[in-house]
Amino acid sequence: MNTLIRIASFFAESEKEPRQDSEGITSHSWILPEKAEMIYGILAALIIFGLLFKFAGPSIKKAMAARTARIQKELDDAASDKASAATEAAGIRQAKGDIGAERQRLLADAAVQADAMLADGRTRLEAEVVELKARAVADIDTARGRSADELRGEIARLSATAAERAVTESINDATHQDLIEAFIQKVGASA
Amino acid sequence: MSDARIEGYARALFEIARAEGSLDEVEDELFRFARSYESSEALRSALTDEMIPAAKRQAIIEDLIGGKATATTTQLVSMVVGSGRGRDLPAIIDQLVLRASSAKNLEVAEVRSAVALSADQQTRLAAALANATGKQVNLKVVVDPSVLGGIVATVGDTVIDGSVRTRLDQLKARL
Repeated sequence: MNTLIRIASFFAESEKEPRQDSEGITSHSWILPEKAEMIYGILAALIIFGLLFKFAGPSIKKAMAARTARIQKELDDAASDKASAATEAAGIRQAKGDIGAERQRLLADAAVQADAMLADGRTRLEAEVVELKARAVADIDTARGRSADELRGEIARLSATAAERAVTESINDATHQDLIEAFIQKVGASA
Repeated sequence: MSDARIEGYARALFEIARAEGSLDEVEDELFRFARSYESSEALRSALTDEMIPAAKRQAIIEDLIGGKATATTTQLVSMVVGSGRGRDLPAIIDQLVLRASSAKNLEVAEVRSAVALSADQQTRLAAALANATGKQVNLKVVVDPSVLGGIVATVGDTVIDGSVRTRLDQLKARL
């Protein structure tokens, strides 16, 4: 405070004694203009501010309002974008949840189908095994029957061959004559 | 060869044999020759081979039955073979036998036996067959070893089978 008082006193004392600079110009203060100049200057400044306020003020106000509106619009757009982004994020989160649920459903369906296929395959295999077993039994029976038939045929063939050989070897002239005589008697008696 | 041509040859052979006065003998010899011809593949091949000249085929006939059959029989067979009808010789001879039997009102009785029949057996068999069929028969005996034993007699469509071969076949069928 004392310092301010000392400064004010300094300026007041300095204006009491006019000073002259090296160019010959005389002034009462080394920093402040003369009073008249100050008054004119202040008036000119007021006139300029008044003109500016009158003529440039609306434009400035308008520009400021437009700027405010633009900024508000940008803020609104940003808010809208933010809301959209939030909605999108919610959708994505929901879709992610749906994908998980779909995955679970698909896995469950696949498991059900796999179980069904497994059961079906097992049933079919069991049926095929039963059928193959029955066919094998039938084939074995057929082969057994065929073998028996072949054996009987072979026995019959061998028996017939043996019988023919035995008969052929046992027929002599006497037998031939007996057979011929028996035939003649039989035919003669058949009238 | 057509039936008409076979019939023609048979009629010609029949007339020649009858003209010669040896029909029964020739007929019997021809019948036996026909059966031998049927049972011998080699004889059939030799007498039906067109590559062998007719004179050579006739020479074969001469060598084969020349001294064993009558001259008429030999000449008739030689004639048929020489004319290139050797393949139809059995059919011609069978037709001749039928014709000869018909001329005598007899039915041909073909008898197959494993051994030859005596004259007495042939007479009794002919009588038995006549008795059985009601027809007088012209007995033609063929020695056929495949009969094995017994007799197979064929009179027209009637077959009387008393052969061992047939009995063995029946036994085989039953087995």
